[in-house]
Amino acid sequence: MTRPAPRSIDEYLRQLRESLAGEDPSLIQDALYDAEEYLRAEVAANPGKSEADVLELIASTYGAPDEVAAAYRDTEAKVKAALAPPPPRRDTPASPAVKFFDVFSDWRAYTSLFYMMLTLATGTLYFTFAITGISVSASLAIVIIGIPLLVVFIGMARVMALAEGRLIEAITGERMPRRPVHPGPPAGFMARIGDMLGDPRTWTTLAYFVLMMPIGIVYFVMATSGLAIGIGLIAGPVLEVFRRFGAFGSWPHLTLEPTWLTSPIGFVFCVAAGVLILTVTLHVARGVGRLHARFAKALLVTPGS
Amino acid sequence: MDDSQAKKFQKELNGGLVSLVLLAVLARTDEDLYGYEIAKRLQRANEGEALFKEGTIYPVLRALSAGGYLTSRIVPSYSGPPRRYYRITDEGRALLAQWSGIWRQTRNFVDRFIEGTEP
Repeated sequence: MTRPAPRSIDEYLRQLRESLAGEDPSLIQDALYDAEEYLRAEVAANPGKSEADVLELIASTYGAPDEVAAAYRDTEAKVKAALAPPPPRRDTPASPAVKFFDVFSDWRAYTSLFYMMLTLATGTLYFTFAITGISVSASLAIVIIGIPLLVVFIGMARVMALAEGRLIEAITGERMPRRPVHPGPPAGFMARIGDMLGDPRTWTTLAYFVLMMPIGIVYFVMATSGLAIGIGLIAGPVLEVFRRFGAFGSWPHLTLEPTWLTSPIGFVFCVAAGVLILTVTLHVARGVGRLHARFAKALLVTPGS
Repeated sequence: MDDSQAKKFQKELNGGLVSLVLLAVLARTDEDLYGYEIAKRLQRANEGEALFKEGTIYPVLRALSAGGYLTSRIVPSYSGPPRRYYRITDEGRALLAQWSGIWRQTRNFVDRFIEGTEP
């Protein structure tokens, strides 16, 4: 590619963004952030030189936008591959039963299940935050105090979106941004506010926060019902056997409807059903984790980048 | 000699070496360092043309940090966006010890042939 060498930091960042077009939006956000840190530090370290003079030497020190883009593409994949433990190799293809129960050895299933239960709390928090922020700053916008409130509110929303992204990456492994949103070229205060309001990501982030309340309730109910029914079905018969040997003193004995369940065969059936439900719950949790990561990325990362 | 061939060979070599050098730099200092500072240290240590572009160390730092080999904290800065300061963890030191061993072994092995002490 033959492009004129960038003469300013903004131009460099624009070219870097172009070179990374089509990459994971989280990776682009990180790359722009790193480049800006370096370039601004370099300009500050050379007070005698103009920005254009400093940028002239950048291609031989930091690297031209194309080179840096290639580094982010390759290095990240390569270093990740070198650091990650090799995936377990299976010589014979696993039977469907083994595959089905394999979910018990997948940490993502457990973390996703945990996330599903956590969303009741985070969802409520996000929802309250978004609704309060919108209504307070919108109603106060007619007096001047609403404007700074709005700026603080949207700034906090971005930090929360970043934190939610980190949480989702920890839980599902889906790549999410590790740095805050790049603020764009320097501009006046009012222009910044205009950018914030015009950025589609601002609005999709708020939509995500509002939607997290109903979604969190659904996730919580799914996770807790699956766990409670599964564990209950396994634990009931086991505890009943202990009770018959007098482990719990005068506890009343367990009766199940229909009554044939209160028999040795019925107990085996209950435990088997419990194991099945628990396994399905873990599968569902893992699936929900994956889908939710995509949903979060579509609303918190992709728009406007 | 063709310059692009030399560059390509250097790039192939750098694949894992950048992470090794970064771990070594962070292991040898007691202070936390941020990306730009590390880049400048490497630049000073370099004689002649840089072995790798400074822009390539940032993604490696981030990957090492994600792997738990470095910890980082963010400090606001006057000159630009907040800086991320890195410090090596115990896991990072263990990795460095292991990789240093591999590096010495590889270097000795290659040198034996290049310097012709091996038939």
